[in-house]
Amino acid sequence: MNCADWEREIASESGAAGLEEHLQQCARCQEFAREIEANRTALQQLTVHPAAFDAVRRRVLDDIQSRRRRAIWWQWPAAAAILVACGVILSVVFLQPRTKPGIAKPPIVAVRTPPQVTAPARNVARTPRRPRPRARVVPARMAVHARQESLTVKMLTNDPDVIIIWLVDQKGD
Amino acid sequence: MADIRLKAGDPEPSTGLLERAKSGDLGAFDQLMRLHEKQVLSTALRILGSMEDAQDAAQETFLRLYKSLNRLPDILEIKSWLYRVTVNVCRDALRKRLRHRTEQLSGPDPASIAPDPELAWMNQERGRLVEMALTTLPEKERAAIVLRDVEGLSTREVAGILGSSEVTVRSQICVARGKLKKFTDRYLRKKS
Repeated sequence: MNCADWEREIASESGAAGLEEHLQQCARCQEFAREIEANRTALQQLTVHPAAFDAVRRRVLDDIQSRRRRAIWWQWPAAAAILVACGVILSVVFLQPRTKPGIAKPPIVAVRTPPQVTAPARNVARTPRRPRPRARVVPARMAVHARQESLTVKMLTNDPDVIIIWLVDQKGD
Repeated sequence: MADIRLKAGDPEPSTGLLERAKSGDLGAFDQLMRLHEKQVLSTALRILGSMEDAQDAAQETFLRLYKSLNRLPDILEIKSWLYRVTVNVCRDALRKRLRHRTEQLSGPDPASIAPDPELAWMNQERGRLVEMALTTLPEKERAAIVLRDVEGLSTREVAGILGSSEVTVRSQICVARGKLKKFTDRYLRKKS
């Protein structure tokens, strides 16, 4: 090995066998080793001013705090949107317009007429043997107006606004 | 993977410091930064060669630490984690930013090193030269020699941080030391 080879061994700190012996004999390699060591010492002794550390820490903490503040501000719109949505849903559910008392229902009530109620009325006219008393259907609330031509049956329901009226043609019987 | 754990000489981590930092305690995170600021900023400064860039890199490194706190299981892992991230951030910075050197690094006090004024001047001068020479090294060689010679890590640890083999790192360090020596020799011989 020549000195260039030994210098590589010195620089790489390989700990090659025979290096120590060579260093004791070779002034050039001793100088090389001293220079390498001097450069390393110089590198290690370079210092950083303490203010630089403080500045970095302050910047990091400021950054984190500003991110936290931004995060809070971003949460407000979301919370507001949720509140508004809840308000809309509640208002739809509870403030829905209700039927006011006194307003007459449309004649849809006629459609609801149960067919079995009409049958007894016919039976009454057809078979006098088994007359179903009109009071039996809704005894207290039923009013029967007998006329010559037709029979009008008024039937009161539980809803005071709803009155069911049947016109029974007795001629057809 | 490098296993650089806090050693006996390192500042002893407070019990629960990491846990408190994880829970959002900024005071605890500040303590963590104080424990590792020298490591991060010195490494960044020597790799980047500019205090301004080094402070930016250190800031970015600590912000990444803050975001990754919940992924760090153990405070003892932080040291090696920080070395890896610092080197990566510096590599990114080297690629992205223009380097503008400033005189922020301060050399050792000459009087504290040697009573001989000439020797003191030489040492101070060498310090500046080595700084300058570092900036001329390729990125990987610079990172390797900073971690090895400045931070005092073993070749195996440096290899773990840089993601290289020990043989590669040894070669990079050998070449880098040779280049630094040539650089300082050329300048100091001219002066003398």
